[in-house]
Amino acid sequence: MSRKMICRKSDVPANGLKECEGEGGIKVLIANSGSEYFAVQAICPHQEVPLCEGMYDGTVLTCHQHLWQWDIRTGAPMGIAEAPLERYDIAVDGDAIYIDADSQGALGVGELFHGIAPETMKALTSLAKREEFAGGSMIYRLGDPADDLLVLDSGRVEFQLGREGRVNPAGFMLKKGEVFGWAALLETHPQRIASARALENSTLLRLNGKEVLKLLESDPASGFLVMRRLSSLIARFLVAPGAK
Amino acid sequence: MHVQVNARNRAYRFEIAAGEKILYAGLRAQTGLPYECATGTCGTCKAKLIDGTIDDRWPGAPGKKFLKAERGEFLMCQCAARGDVCIEVASFVYPSDPGACRVAALSGTVREARALAHDVTSIDVALDAPCEFDAGQFMVVNAPGVHGMRGYSMVNFEQPARRLEFLIKKKPGGGFSEWLFSGKAAGSRIEMLGPLGKATFYPALAKNLLCIAGGSGIAGMMSILSRASQERYFEHYHGHVFFGVRTMKDAFYLNELSALREAFPRNLEITVALSEEDVPAAAAGEFPLLRFERGLVHEVAKRRMAGNYHNVRAYLAGPPPAVEAAIRVLLLEAKLTADAIRYDKFS
Repeated sequence: MSRKMICRKSDVPANGLKECEGEGGIKVLIANSGSEYFAVQAICPHQEVPLCEGMYDGTVLTCHQHLWQWDIRTGAPMGIAEAPLERYDIAVDGDAIYIDADSQGALGVGELFHGIAPETMKALTSLAKREEFAGGSMIYRLGDPADDLLVLDSGRVEFQLGREGRVNPAGFMLKKGEVFGWAALLETHPQRIASARALENSTLLRLNGKEVLKLLESDPASGFLVMRRLSSLIARFLVAPGAK
Repeated sequence: MHVQVNARNRAYRFEIAAGEKILYAGLRAQTGLPYECATGTCGTCKAKLIDGTIDDRWPGAPGKKFLKAERGEFLMCQCAARGDVCIEVASFVYPSDPGACRVAALSGTVREARALAHDVTSIDVALDAPCEFDAGQFMVVNAPGVHGMRGYSMVNFEQPARRLEFLIKKKPGGGFSEWLFSGKAAGSRIEMLGPLGKATFYPALAKNLLCIAGGSGIAGMMSILSRASQERYFEHYHGHVFFGVRTMKDAFYLNELSALREAFPRNLEITVALSEEDVPAAAAGEFPLLRFERGLVHEVAKRRMAGNYHNVRAYLAGPPPAVEAAIRVLLLEAKLTADAIRYDKFS
C-alpha cells in the first residue's frame, strides 16, 4: 500500500472535521468519530459545496446547502442524498493519519465496487486495463458487442441514442468511479444500446464482463453487494423517483 | 424557440416563449428541473450554456455567487433564451411527478389588501381561471411596475382554488411591498407562475406535524393547517405549531390559530414565541387556547419538543437564519434525517 501522511490527529477536532489535501491534490475530508477517524471526499457530490462547512455530529455528515446526508463510517447516503461519498482507507500511526493512495483509485471509490472484500478488490484491480481516449473519440457505438464494463477514472463521457444523423443525447458521466457499459454484467448482453463518446480527454478502466462475473462468483458476499448496487444503478436511469 | 437540456441521465427538449425564463418554461413543460427559490437567490437552478445565446435578466442576482461564470454557468430562473439554446444540468432530471400540480402561468386581480400587523398585509387575488396547488406551495409573483419575480406562499387552501391569499411583509425599499402598502394594490392585475415548492402537505402523509415558522413564514403553514383541518387530520395525528415573532405587536393570525386549536383541542398545540419581549400578562387571557413563550422560535420548539419527535414530519419557513437554526436543532439534536424536514429556501 502506498501511503501518504495527510494530517495529524491533533488537527481534527473531537467529533469534528478537517479538510486536507490527498494524492494528486484531491481534497479529502478527515472526520473524527470518538476514537476513530474516517476519510471521505471533501466536496459534496451534489453541487460542489465544501463539506467541511456542513453539519456533523460525530456520526452523520450533512451538507448545509441542500441537506444531503451520509453515514461517515461507510459514506452511504441517508435521507434525501442521491449519491454516496467517496471513502478512502486511512491508517493511524501515533499522531499521524495516513491515506492509502490506492483507495483513491476509480474502482475503490466507484458506485459499483466500493466496499467489496479487499482480496476481491485486488483481483478486480488486476483485471482492469487502463485506456486513454482523446476528446471527441468514440468509445463504443450502438450495436457493438457489449463484452466490457467501463469505469471512468478522469474526463467526461457522453451517451447518445439513435443512429447517425438522428441521435439524441442520453446523459453523461463526469465523476470518477462512475460505471457504464454495465450490460456486460447481464446474462444476455448481445450489443450496446447506446453510443459512448469521450467529450474531453478521458481515462477509463476496462473490465471484461465475464471475468468480473467469474471473480464475483468466487466471493458471493461481494458479488451480492455489486449486484444490488447494479440494480439500483440501472433503476436510477429508468425510473422516476416517487415522493420520498 | 426550443431549449434542449442535457441532464446526467437523459436529454429534454421544450418550447420557450420570447422573454420567458428557462426554468419556468421547463417546469411548465413538466420537466423536473432543479430549483428551490426560483427567484435568483439560492443558486440551486444553476446550469451551463452549451450552445446558443441567453439573456440574463438580473445580472446582480444574489444566487450568482454560487456560479462559475468562466465555465458558462448561469441561473435558469433568471435567464431567457435568444433563439434555440442547448444547456447542461449536472444532475439527474426526471419528468415531473404525474400526480403533482401542473406549473402554469396564471393571472388575477387583487381584490383586497388587509393589514394584519404594522408591517404585514395579506392580499386576496381573484384568479382569472381556477388552479390546483398543494398546501405549502408558493407562486412567483410579478406585480406591475416592480422589477423581478418574488416568491410568496399561499395562505389559503382550496381545491380547486379560485382565489389565492398571500402574506406580504413590508420591507423598506422592497419594491413589491412598497407598491402594496402604497394603497394602489386593490384592482391591480398581477401575473404569477406556479405552483412551486416541495414543502407540501397531503393527508396520506400519516405523520405528526411539526411546523416552525418565523414571521411571514407562517403563510404556508396556514395553508397546511387549513388542509389538515378540512380533512380532520388532527383527529388522528398530532400537530405542533411554533410561530415566532419579535413582540406581541408583530403577531397576527392569533384568532385564526385559536380557532384551529379549538377545533382540535386534544392533538393540536400552538405556541407563539416572542423573541424580544417577555410574554405580556394579558396574552394568555386574550388567547387562552394558545401558549406563549419568550425566546427564539427554534429554541422554544427545541424545549417543548424534546423527546416528542416520534413519526414527525417537520415544515420550516421564515427568514433564512431562522430556518437554518431550526434545521440544526432537528438534525443535530432531534436526530431527524433530512427526508423528515421540508422547507423551501426563499424569502
